[in-house]
Amino acid sequence: MWSKEVIDMIIRGIGETLYMSVFGTFFGYVLGLPWGTVLAVTDQDGIRPNRIVYRVLDVITNIMRSIPFLILLILIIPFTRLLVGKSYGSTATIVPLVVSAAPFIGRMVESSLKEVDKGVIEAAQSMGASTMQIILRVMLTEARVSLVMGAAICFGTILGYSAMAGTVGGGGLGDIAIRYGYHRWQADIMIVTVVLLVILVQIFQFAGMKIAAKLDKRK
Amino acid sequence: MNMSEMIQVKNLSKTFQTREGTVEALRNIDLTVEAGDIYGIIGMSGAGKSTLVRCLNYLERPTAGTVIVQGRELGTLSDKELRKMRSSIGMIFQNFNLLMQRNVMDNVTFPLEIQGTGKEQARQKARTLLETVGLSEKAAAYPAQLSGGQRQRVAIARALACDPKILLCDEATSALDPQTTQQILQLLKKINQETGITIVIITHQMSVVREICRNVAIVENGQIVEQGLVEEIFTHPKSRAARQLVIEGKDPDQWEEPAQKGAGELPILEENRKIRIVFSSNDSKEPVVANMVLKFGTPVNILKADTKDLNGTARGEMILGLNGSRELEDEMIQYLIDRGLAVEEVQSHVE
Repeated sequence: MWSKEVIDMIIRGIGETLYMSVFGTFFGYVLGLPWGTVLAVTDQDGIRPNRIVYRVLDVITNIMRSIPFLILLILIIPFTRLLVGKSYGSTATIVPLVVSAAPFIGRMVESSLKEVDKGVIEAAQSMGASTMQIILRVMLTEARVSLVMGAAICFGTILGYSAMAGTVGGGGLGDIAIRYGYHRWQADIMIVTVVLLVILVQIFQFAGMKIAAKLDKRK
Repeated sequence: MNMSEMIQVKNLSKTFQTREGTVEALRNIDLTVEAGDIYGIIGMSGAGKSTLVRCLNYLERPTAGTVIVQGRELGTLSDKELRKMRSSIGMIFQNFNLLMQRNVMDNVTFPLEIQGTGKEQARQKARTLLETVGLSEKAAAYPAQLSGGQRQRVAIARALACDPKILLCDEATSALDPQTTQQILQLLKKINQETGITIVIITHQMSVVREICRNVAIVENGQIVEQGLVEEIFTHPKSRAARQLVIEGKDPDQWEEPAQKGAGELPILEENRKIRIVFSSNDSKEPVVANMVLKFGTPVNILKADTKDLNGTARGEMILGLNGSRELEDEMIQYLIDRGLAVEEVQSHVE
């Protein structure tokens, strides 16, 4: 069974999974980082409290996080088609991955930023720092360890979602696992893909923790 | 407008809305800090002094009243002008509030970065300041690797980076041990003498005020109950709070504690009145108290005698219990006053 085709297929699957996860996480952060920052800044004890902005974002975040990924994937097919021109394949899967991950990432970022010592923020204010300067030079930099660890967690979650997207023709290792393991009862190929998924998550989690530890100057 | 007035607070009040209702943190505060002064604000925790110091750079906006700093009313400034103004008011904190992910050098250059100063110029300035606070060799260290006293030195260097005219100290020595506190206070004193910077010190420790402040305001329940020269208040405390501070030597956090009348206390003479006399080291040539006892032929009970260092000059302090007739006591008090001593009648003394 370990024909050249199968091995090529698995290697291609790894490539597709990484492609979806990396870009999914990247664009997830492009949206989620400012999203979470606005949440942290506009909250009651943030540096620019704004009840309306916070409530609106808060509710949207909660709604989007309550929609199961598979449903969301189907629900936004028209939007996906509009964006990438088709609704199946790895590139198309990135769209629902991002839409689903962004609010999750936003929450992670919000909680990381809220861990920043209020006293340090106050010190920056006492020096005449603007809101933007405080966000960029105090909050994001002081929270960087927590942010990197959050990113490792998000990456693992998105990788898991990408495997789920395999069920509807998303490609990647998840796709292989379902086609061979579920539809054709080829347990060996399924097990191999699952093991590969586990290893991928482990590698990124480990790398995330290493980077975080290296960045941390608090000890 | 008198230019020697660095900070002027007029009729300032601050209220907070909480779930339990409205809390009045500050009420009708008036105070003036002269340029170059070291001004202490003392009070127990929760008295509102931290709120008061935050009103001086508008980290807290007063509910009513005005704050005028260097001739400009903070309430009338735009956000941008206010930020500009804040860069001329340095501030240090009880918990130092250093950026933990930046090293010492980058902490000190931080305020300059905010002002848009060039990198090399900022580093140059930071090196000079680190030298001033005696931490040149720690430039590459991270705050987590420093002791509390060293962290506060970094915070002082950082607060001075933009050459402020004013330095606000919010309980800056409260997290430090007595020896380190001394070093930090001496450093502040040195900086004040060398640069003429105006320093406002918030504290709950009388020893801090005695050590370096020239003027002091005593805050109790959101109000200033007494203010003036430290020396004057030390010699003639008027308010109840000041008396507790000066005469009983109680720091504000001990004020409300009931006096302990424990067992094992030495029996003391029943006195009719207690008086407190204060003399500076140079009027102690004549043995005044002994002469008084000889002259009137009535013994007095010495309840307390102490020497305190007040801004570098030694001040003797004594609490006497008198137990003669009312007229005799009046005569004794007059005798002491005639010899140039400050005499104060007190209700209690250290139990």
